[in-house]
Amino acid sequence: MVHAMREPAHRVSPRARRLWAVEAALAVLVALAAQAVWWFVDDAPDRTAHRVVAAVWAVVGLGYLVVMPQWRYRVHRWEATPTAIYTQTGWLNLERRIAPLSRVQTVDLERGPLSQLLGLASVTVTTASAAGPVRIHGLDLPVALDLVDSLTAAAVLDVGDAT
Amino acid sequence: MTERAPGDGSGWRRLDARMLLVHPVQTFVRFLPAILAILIARSSTSGSSDGDRWELVALPLIVAVGALRWLTTRYRIGDGQIELRRGLLNKTTTTARLDRVRTVDLTSELHHRALGLAKVEISTGSAGKDRLVLDSLSLVDGRRLRAELLHRAAPAPAPDLAAHPVLPVAPADVSADEELLRLDPAWVRYAPLTLTGLATAAAVVGFAVQGLQRYADDGALTSAAEQVRALVWWADVVILLAVISLLAVLAYVLSFWGFRLSRNTLGTLHARRGLLTTRETTIDRSRLRGVRVEAPLGLRLAGARRLRAVSTGLPTERGGGSDWLSPPAPVEAVTTVAVEIVDDASAVLAALVPHGPAARRRRLNRALAPAVVVGAALIAARAVLGWPTGFAVAVPVLLAAAFALGMDRYAGLGHLVTPTHLVAQHGSLDRSRVVLAREGIIGWTIRQSFFQRRAGVVTLVATTAAGRQHYELVDVTPERAHAVVAEITPALVADFS
Repeated sequence: MVHAMREPAHRVSPRARRLWAVEAALAVLVALAAQAVWWFVDDAPDRTAHRVVAAVWAVVGLGYLVVMPQWRYRVHRWEATPTAIYTQTGWLNLERRIAPLSRVQTVDLERGPLSQLLGLASVTVTTASAAGPVRIHGLDLPVALDLVDSLTAAAVLDVGDAT
Repeated sequence: MTERAPGDGSGWRRLDARMLLVHPVQTFVRFLPAILAILIARSSTSGSSDGDRWELVALPLIVAVGALRWLTTRYRIGDGQIELRRGLLNKTTTTARLDRVRTVDLTSELHHRALGLAKVEISTGSAGKDRLVLDSLSLVDGRRLRAELLHRAAPAPAPDLAAHPVLPVAPADVSADEELLRLDPAWVRYAPLTLTGLATAAAVVGFAVQGLQRYADDGALTSAAEQVRALVWWADVVILLAVISLLAVLAYVLSFWGFRLSRNTLGTLHARRGLLTTRETTIDRSRLRGVRVEAPLGLRLAGARRLRAVSTGLPTERGGGSDWLSPPAPVEAVTTVAVEIVDDASAVLAALVPHGPAARRRRLNRALAPAVVVGAALIAARAVLGWPTGFAVAVPVLLAAAFALGMDRYAGLGHLVTPTHLVAQHGSLDRSRVVLAREGIIGWTIRQSFFQRRAGVVTLVATTAAGRQHYELVDVTPERAHAVVAEITPALVADFS
């Protein structure tokens, strides 16, 4: 998107695609459950509306399941230098975030149940601004642990957080 | 300066004893509905029994609670921190480092003022959530405390602090303060032109109308309502506007009367305002990250502006409003103050860099699209439902207004990088120009929505710990966004170019 700046160097773990796909499947299942409830609650004999909505859902949901993780995997990138952390996220809407490590306040490592099954972890870096947390989803656990260590070491060196 | 320690020998200080008078009043006001309910209940069962004289029990109880609060609440300053200790059974001690103190607010409501008291709120967190509240100190003590917290010339070494728990500070010399702005009563004329003024007034009118409807049976009111109804429609509008303007003026006077903005020799800003409830806000210079010059449409047409601080530690703009640096006032007065505060004339006054044709196209699209939809609906309604032609006539007016809005939104869009500040301006009905200190920027976000990608523009967001936490440059070209980032934080992007 921004031609003047190159992309961050590293991709996230390839298994992140599986994580996103499962998450997407859960969302689609919720929609399907709503559809099923509607099917049983609605007393009208004509079922055309149900079939049309179901067909639309099937196409959209399947497309989302297949396309989104792949697309997202191609977009999501990250890079940490001794002075800054730089990420690129999104799929339809893109977002790049840069935060200088000198302004970092906290570094968090998060592992949900799905991430634990897949051996993945997310790293969240917060600055003094409520608007500026930098998140990297779907990292391999060893990579994430290394990253947290190096970020924490860098953040400890500086004290000013501009508040 | 020798300081008395009313608490005990260790430098603990108490709230002012006069709070014992304030506390029952506050409790009374808080329980007013309950008290009224009890009174009404008693009057309906009148004469039955005088035995349950509840106020004989309640009053001493309230006074006792107040006394307990006074006895158990103590604060002290020492070792580079302020401590607040409260509670009898659940003792809580709140501690904050003095160098984390960002702003100090002194608020005096009417009953405080009658006794010469003030509530002191000390903000120690970046978003204004972490506060120490001392309710109440005498005004003199409150001001002295504020001076101790904010006007520290140089932190003394720690052993010295232990020996003298109270920092040796020269009392804030008011005569040395430099006055930046003082309210001119003629500025009250701008009150009806602000959206907030109008919204407040509309809310009051709405409540009043609802309240009046309860008494609609009252003969005098009904006849008055009949008279109003008999007037031509424009007279109604004039009356409504007059009432709303009057209320807006009232609100302006209540909140901004006696507004005075001053700066002391250390650069600390000090704003005082209010007719009945007076507020004094003090902002440490090292916490101030810039200013926001606001020009909502009404003020802009009248040649007026208003000014807010962009600072860490102030409550967000919607809550409290302690970030005012100027009430709605003439543009010259406001910009002079703004230049004085940020010390960067071009950041406040200079023409901005426009965002280009793609940004204009997007402004127009976004303004016209809803107008086109509504217009199409009106025309369809005339064709299908047989609505009167008058509605269809409104369509060109609607489209013209939308076009004007889009063009004005583009005209308001711009940014500028000065040697010390980043300037971002946007909006039409609610235009504001944010002047943000470059050293206050602690990160960048570059966003590109699906439609922005097709238009070849991005939104550059500067994140900061002050004010709204993030300020946006909407619809700039990617190259321009990168140039801004590279100019302000060259070291940051050097690795990624």
